[in-house]
Amino acid sequence: MIILTSLSDVLDYKIADIPLINILTFIFIILVAFAVGKIISLNIRRTLKDKVQKNTLKTLENSVYYISIIIGFIVALSQIGVSLSGLLVAGGIMGIVLGFASQTVVSNLISGIFLLIERPIEIGDGINIEGISGIVKDIKILSTTIRDYDGIYVRLPNDKVFSSTIKNYDAHGARRFTYNVGIRYRDDAEKAMKIITLLLDEHSLVLKEPSSQIFVEELGDSSVNLSIRIWAPSSVWYSIYTELLWKIKVVLEENGIEIPFPQRVVWMKDNTKK
Amino acid sequence: MRTDSQYVFGTYELSTSLKEDDIEIIVEGQGKRKQYFRRSGKDEIEKIICAEGGNLVVCPVEPVSFPQEGVAEHLLIELNKPLIIESGVKDIIFVKFPIEIGVFLVDKRDVELIDIFTKIKPKYTLYGPPESGIICRWWKSDIFDNKPSVKELYEGILKVDIANKYYEWVELTKMVFGAYDMKIFYNDSAYIHARLTILNKTIGETTFSTRRPTDMKESLDIYISRGVKKLEKKFIMEWRFK
Repeated sequence: MIILTSLSDVLDYKIADIPLINILTFIFIILVAFAVGKIISLNIRRTLKDKVQKNTLKTLENSVYYISIIIGFIVALSQIGVSLSGLLVAGGIMGIVLGFASQTVVSNLISGIFLLIERPIEIGDGINIEGISGIVKDIKILSTTIRDYDGIYVRLPNDKVFSSTIKNYDAHGARRFTYNVGIRYRDDAEKAMKIITLLLDEHSLVLKEPSSQIFVEELGDSSVNLSIRIWAPSSVWYSIYTELLWKIKVVLEENGIEIPFPQRVVWMKDNTKK
Repeated sequence: MRTDSQYVFGTYELSTSLKEDDIEIIVEGQGKRKQYFRRSGKDEIEKIICAEGGNLVVCPVEPVSFPQEGVAEHLLIELNKPLIIESGVKDIIFVKFPIEIGVFLVDKRDVELIDIFTKIKPKYTLYGPPESGIICRWWKSDIFDNKPSVKELYEGILKVDIANKYYEWVELTKMVFGAYDMKIFYNDSAYIHARLTILNKTIGETTFSTRRPTDMKESLDIYISRGVKKLEKKFIMEWRFK
């Protein structure tokens, strides 16, 4: 039986040629790695709880947790005499290979995390990214899924979503759209504007405020061109957009105001006159 | 329990014939399967009900479902004449508000909204700036000192306790109420009791009283029927009163 008389004796005590102090440091580093991993994953859960789907969040939490433990384990190995130089050389080469191979994946992953934090789009939003329009169906850690307006499934890598210009049609409660309508030069533009205003006032989903704007925008080649700017709730604007133009045409014609065809006045030279 | 009535609001057995104004609601049929028919002006709807028990409840509901559900969750009342309130003053006003009429099937376990209609043409507006404002059902009303007479199938009475807790005069032309927490009571007409607390020149808070007046019933809630969780207990008017 070995009698230990002082703390230094205890720390100098060796198990398989490894000082006890190093073994304790090894265990301590691993415990710290567990704790750090837990703290980081808890913070990720708290921060992204309402922003990320449950299963994606769980994957992210677990990844961060285990990466922390692996880093802690590698750091701790030197304490028990395992040389990391060979491991580092092999790891370095492997790292370069993996780095090249996973460059896109990492880029997508980081973009995905930033997308979830910044939240320029949300599930259910109508969006346009680089010419692809549709409804956002899912935002995952690596990709964003869109159902385009033809019902086609579109998967966009997150680095593309993050670095592209995003138009989000549902980010604001209301949006404006414009019609350009031409009437004949002999028609009364003020009367036309009053008729259109009445029609818009009658429509439930054309917003009271901000009010619609109707004005003569241009004296065109064949017509007096009216600009009609209408505000509608973003969630239903498209149905109003598709409905109103025809109604405007009908109501104008009912009141004797017509939309003219393009026309050109040709003056024929009279050769009989001298 | 009534089986027929000259007023449509109320609780009825599942064989019912109701007629008021140009509204007609009929539930008829033998055994479990019954035909539901509703007419309101030119608008008609028919459904088939399969039930062994339960009741039909017709009552005024939150005016935010027409012409499309989900467009708005708030009601904005615009006053015909601005109300200018001195600092520290409390007052009670009455205004009118639009109603929609809900038809529910009710048994001991569940409430199901089977039909909803309105007699008035709705209009919507934006409260606040386009980038952060909210879409509201819009309605314009005079201010009344006492309960005004209303067309029961079109409008209800909204009593508002106003308190100006700000140290300046405040001009009020708009009041916005959240539909989530709206408490509507009814007998032959609909009634809401709300509070508006003016906190500063641009910010106010609106809430509803949950106390049921003695001669009235509480309307069923479209959000509970749709399974929507209600979290809001008040609405903060943060984009001015005019």
